[in-house]
Amino acid sequence: MNMVEKILARASGRQSVEPGDVVVAEVDLLIMHDLSGWLTSRVFDKQVGGPVRHPERVAMVFDHHYSPPTEDAADMLKANREWARRNGIQLFDCGNGNIHHTVVRRGLVRPGAIVVGSDSHTPVHGALGAFAAALGNDSHAGTVLPYGKAWFRVPETVRVELVGTPPPGTTARDVALWLVGQIGEGGLIYAAVEFAGPYVKELPFWDRWLFPLLCVDLGAKCSFVEPDEVTEEFVRSLPPGAADRPAHSDGGEAARVLRFDVGGVAPQVACPPTVGNLADVSALAGTPVQYAELGGHAGGRLEDFRAAAEVLQGRRVHPDVRFNVVPSSREVFTEAVREGLVLALHEAGATWFPPSTGSNQAYNMGAMAAGESMISTHARNFPGRNGSAEANMYLAAARTVAASAVTGTITDAGELA
Amino acid sequence: MTTVEGPVLQARGRCWTFGDNIPTDRLVKTKYVVEPMSVIVAHVLEDLNPRFPLEVQPGDIVVAGKHFGQSSGRAIAVKALKATGIGCVVADTFARTFYRNAFEVGLPVLELPGVSELVSDGDVLAVDVAAGTFRNEATGQERTVAPPDAFLLEMLRAGGLIPLAKKRTDLFDPAT
Repeated sequence: MNMVEKILARASGRQSVEPGDVVVAEVDLLIMHDLSGWLTSRVFDKQVGGPVRHPERVAMVFDHHYSPPTEDAADMLKANREWARRNGIQLFDCGNGNIHHTVVRRGLVRPGAIVVGSDSHTPVHGALGAFAAALGNDSHAGTVLPYGKAWFRVPETVRVELVGTPPPGTTARDVALWLVGQIGEGGLIYAAVEFAGPYVKELPFWDRWLFPLLCVDLGAKCSFVEPDEVTEEFVRSLPPGAADRPAHSDGGEAARVLRFDVGGVAPQVACPPTVGNLADVSALAGTPVQYAELGGHAGGRLEDFRAAAEVLQGRRVHPDVRFNVVPSSREVFTEAVREGLVLALHEAGATWFPPSTGSNQAYNMGAMAAGESMISTHARNFPGRNGSAEANMYLAAARTVAASAVTGTITDAGELA
Repeated sequence: MTTVEGPVLQARGRCWTFGDNIPTDRLVKTKYVVEPMSVIVAHVLEDLNPRFPLEVQPGDIVVAGKHFGQSSGRAIAVKALKATGIGCVVADTFARTFYRNAFEVGLPVLELPGVSELVSDGDVLAVDVAAGTFRNEATGQERTVAPPDAFLLEMLRAGGLIPLAKKRTDLFDPAT
């Protein structure tokens, strides 16, 4: 069995499982943000009720709001707080950070665990060697909260092997975006996607993170990187949490293997209307942007702020651009302060926002008027998610976002004068 | 507007066609997510076809292309479609969160690769999800595919996951 199959077998009390089996498994962690938590709590209270079986295995993170901008939003957050308190659920209130970064940084996600959440990017936790899948509100309200369990169909595994060394200006984010274009949106529906090969093996943890993150765009159920010494070292850096139960593949064959040489990948931009609409940055050069942002599930990492500071060294943000930077967690902000990145980006003209998920769905920030454009490290670019359906969201790596903030048009950092 | 309740796994009605890669964000826009269902359902899919929320009739059938319901896993998107009273959704392929949510909230769906090439907007279709059969009455074209997994059909017949879980304590709460 591979990692995913071993975790599902353990958690469902079976000796073994095979792709296609439907199992009911014990869930180690349910994560919800302020919106999904609100929807799920309402379904639970109205249609299920009763005690939450394992409240210590449930976490709610307010990340779409860092401070409620309206009375309605304040009402929602207040209701969420009361619901969490009443049910004994762990709450990470406004200002803690993006849901996925926060639960990782606080040591709640462990190798070998089963992690579920309504947020569609929940599979990102496969980067730590967890089995992580996005489920709907009714799974959470109907089985995870009352019984601590969820049903799963065991997925077939597709191994994506990446070889080669990209050019110096190309980062892991570019390679990850490029892969969505290569494999295609919905190209691996229902699969467990294992990211492997020498390119992935050499990446540090927070760059590996970007690959399981994108599996939802491929249509996959979950994704993982086989836990190794990089995973172990990262987990040792986290606060102590629940016991690690790492699962390692024992040579089970993948249903399919896809190999890609990343040696020639140029910096990428995912253009509206979908994440799979990729182009080399050079093809978009000169497109005006009014907003640039480092933030979201795929951004707001220390690596992004370092890259931006490097690009902005000796340069300033263009007066026509609002360059907003959003730490993915309080921990990242602390590290950015210590490294001098906060002052460097501030003095170059960027604006720091509180740890959160930033402009994701424009709840607290990031709405655009018709005709406006943003380039960001976010994970999604569907029209209407950021204000007007006539606004444009371009997704790119931090280097490209920072370079575009300098010129006011989409720009390859390597082309800056 | 009436809502079809319970285990109706067959549908016959006019079809509304949509394209590939439709995200849930466009089924139920973010600004409506926290509104009451009566408001949400009045705006479902309006950006892609403004006539849909106004004219859709109970029993109508939604036909889409590839990867229908991608993006956010919000079950509210499926609940909004169900609240229009449509009989079922047929698509070339579904995003897996949409597919899972559909069975969990009791909206019949059938994955039928190539279906988007078989229909024109407004054709009358007959679909039996449990049998995996499809017929376009306007053209006479018929297709049969493997029906959904037996566990998923059991969920649909129960009216969704919440009623199923209450019934199947042997699966979800074996200690009691």
